[in-house]
Amino acid sequence: MCFKNLPIEFDAAGNASLKPGAANPYSYTEVPAPTPIEDDPERMRELFARNGAVRRVDFDPVTRVAGALAFHTVVDLENRQVMETASMATLFRGYEIILKGRDPRDAIFISSRACGVCGGVHATASALACEMAFGIKPPPMGIVARNLLLSVEYLYDHPIHLGLLAGPDFSEPAVRETNPEIWERALNTRCEGEVTHGYALMSDLMTDLTPLTGKLYLEGLYYTRLAREAYVLIGGKYPHPQTVVPGGVSTTIDASDLNEIMLRVVKYFDYGRKTAAIWDDLASFFYEVNPKYKEIGTRPANMIEPGQWDDPYAYDGTYKNADAWGRERWAPPGVIRDGELVTTSLTMLNAGVEEFVEHAFYEEWAGSGNEYYKHPTDPNGNPLSPWHPWNKETIPKPTATSWKEKYSWSTAPRWDRTAMETGAYSRIWAAAQTGPEAFRKSPYLHSTGTSMQIFLPKAELPNTDIEWKIPETWGAFERNRARAYCILYTAAIAYDNLQLAYKLLKAGGPDARMSTPYEMPKDHRIGVGLWGAGRGYLTHHLEMDNGVLENYQILTPSTWMASPKDPFGNPGPYEEAVLATPLLENYEKPEDFKGIDVLRAIRSFDPCMPCTTHMHMDGRTVSREIISCACGADEVHEHH
Amino acid sequence: MRVLVCGVGYRFLRDNALGIHITDTLAPQASNGVEFEDLGYHPVGFTQNLNERPAYDRIVFVGAINRGREPGTITTYKYDHVLPDVQEIQERVGDSVSGSISLDNLIIVSEAFKALPEDVWVVEIEPGDETWGEGFSDEVVAKIPEITETVWSLTRL
Repeated sequence: MCFKNLPIEFDAAGNASLKPGAANPYSYTEVPAPTPIEDDPERMRELFARNGAVRRVDFDPVTRVAGALAFHTVVDLENRQVMETASMATLFRGYEIILKGRDPRDAIFISSRACGVCGGVHATASALACEMAFGIKPPPMGIVARNLLLSVEYLYDHPIHLGLLAGPDFSEPAVRETNPEIWERALNTRCEGEVTHGYALMSDLMTDLTPLTGKLYLEGLYYTRLAREAYVLIGGKYPHPQTVVPGGVSTTIDASDLNEIMLRVVKYFDYGRKTAAIWDDLASFFYEVNPKYKEIGTRPANMIEPGQWDDPYAYDGTYKNADAWGRERWAPPGVIRDGELVTTSLTMLNAGVEEFVEHAFYEEWAGSGNEYYKHPTDPNGNPLSPWHPWNKETIPKPTATSWKEKYSWSTAPRWDRTAMETGAYSRIWAAAQTGPEAFRKSPYLHSTGTSMQIFLPKAELPNTDIEWKIPETWGAFERNRARAYCILYTAAIAYDNLQLAYKLLKAGGPDARMSTPYEMPKDHRIGVGLWGAGRGYLTHHLEMDNGVLENYQILTPSTWMASPKDPFGNPGPYEEAVLATPLLENYEKPEDFKGIDVLRAIRSFDPCMPCTTHMHMDGRTVSREIISCACGADEVHEHH
Repeated sequence: MRVLVCGVGYRFLRDNALGIHITDTLAPQASNGVEFEDLGYHPVGFTQNLNERPAYDRIVFVGAINRGREPGTITTYKYDHVLPDVQEIQERVGDSVSGSISLDNLIIVSEAFKALPEDVWVVEIEPGDETWGEGFSDEVVAKIPEITETVWSLTRL
């Protein structure tokens, strides 16, 4: 029984149905959001009388172009606590509306424009949704080619996150500025992973994380390039590929292409070993300095992972068999609640998803949930909520921002009415907990139930066994550490798929074809692409009739994680994680506060939006800083 | 001589799509060393692309950027290759790798990673409408012939 909150029960054979007796099974009573501190003069007066170091700090976008994220906090600098948070997507992109009435295949190319970084995954999720709707599946080589595209896209994405985005927060300049005492300690702390990554002292490692000039930063840049070179061999272009189509990939591959990809993939064996050792050392060092670093960005280990990398002989593109082919994926699907895997069923994962808009700039489309809605069940007969993506209507309704009412263009996606995070870490976590019996057989990966063992051929570094273990605590350091191990996890999958590709190429015949021919259906169909992005969960739900899209819904990792509060009173994952973050930065005066711990917390999720996680008091990146005062009047400093 | 014209911006974001619209429009006229590229992707990838190609003699960036001018205002200038401080460059790298595409980010990050030739021109237009959807604001529509001609003229060395 994977659901605790939704009105779904299972019979002895595991078939899901609505619990009997409930007149309005999905309806709910909204829990009012707490009154924001700034809207409560009495509370402000009390706080200020007690503590003059309470202040509002907003992290606004540097550039307001892409679906940007702003983050609002109220912090108590004396007690080193975050008191209030609100995560705000500041721009509506409208893809769901743009896609209405178009040929479903257009969505492959249009939706890839949703992101300037990882568009390939949108293209593939869209192709998967089309395949389900059209009733087609690619030949095995087409699936393997898609797996290779995804692998090298992740090998592009992970170094970007670790080297260029998260790494600088742990670099010499950042640590010296925010915690000079930690830097002093780093100067005298030896690294446990020296034999793998080559750094004798933590200070040396931190120096090489320095933005723009540090060797590790530049190395991350190099490895993004290497993976992108591999991607375009099949995808044609990146990040907006030209060859992803329903039914496979619209290009050919020969041995020379595979060799070119292999030459690049094997370089990630040592890079992955090195990166894992670096993030192991960073976590160990900070935990040793102060165990409260384990609480940076902490929240319950509630995660959702649709899985990806299809088995070329198991995947058939049907919803009917989605549980079966889903479990054969190199990254199997999974929902993790409080650290435990509660389902590996793709259809139950799908059935548990709802999107709420009480705190988002959209109009409610389902009323109280009692009215007729189009899809009360999925194609297998499992119950669906009126707030499920297949039932969702995107109705933008911009209003003034109110932290108590509506404040974001992100909806609040929930699974079983629980806020979920997602990322490379949910991928490896679900795979690790799937266990030795259920996890697919691979010469390079072994799921133990509590860890993922990765066996890769020796390159230049010592061939130490790699094992990512499910952590005892969950927070920013563990997100980054898991992401580092996912370089190896991904490289192993790429290596496995390359060997499959060589075999298929050698055997020739229908299995070696890259795509399958099809005719566009004209009748009513629905489909869903259940896939992943470097940053986690990605689904595209579509409904079509007369050859055009009637509804198209994209649900991205950042929608899950940057979500505002839900109607049940629960914060979104960023909000929850920052609220639990202790302020361990070393500052004497409030004006010295840099917010590094908040930044580390948010960045560990790898926000796919230009977040103003660039907090500096001297310039344009902090838009407003308001010091609470007894009278409730705000002193506003505008920075431009 | 090799010239690259880059249309910078997002499709389906009204005036922010103008740069790409211009390169889409001019692309059929590519010839004799004049290339047009849709730069709806981030500058780290662009930098890597540039590093793999034979050097260009000139790069022209065209796109919309909000600088508080009258909507439709066209500003054309030769890039002076002056970079902001390291902190700001890293902020822009961070923006770029987390999904933001903008004229300033693109030029600053590309320059910081030493990907640009000496001869770089920028053609900007002030957007009037930056919301979602297709089509452009009236102010920008009125300036499309002028900005197209400006970009085209910069392809002639």
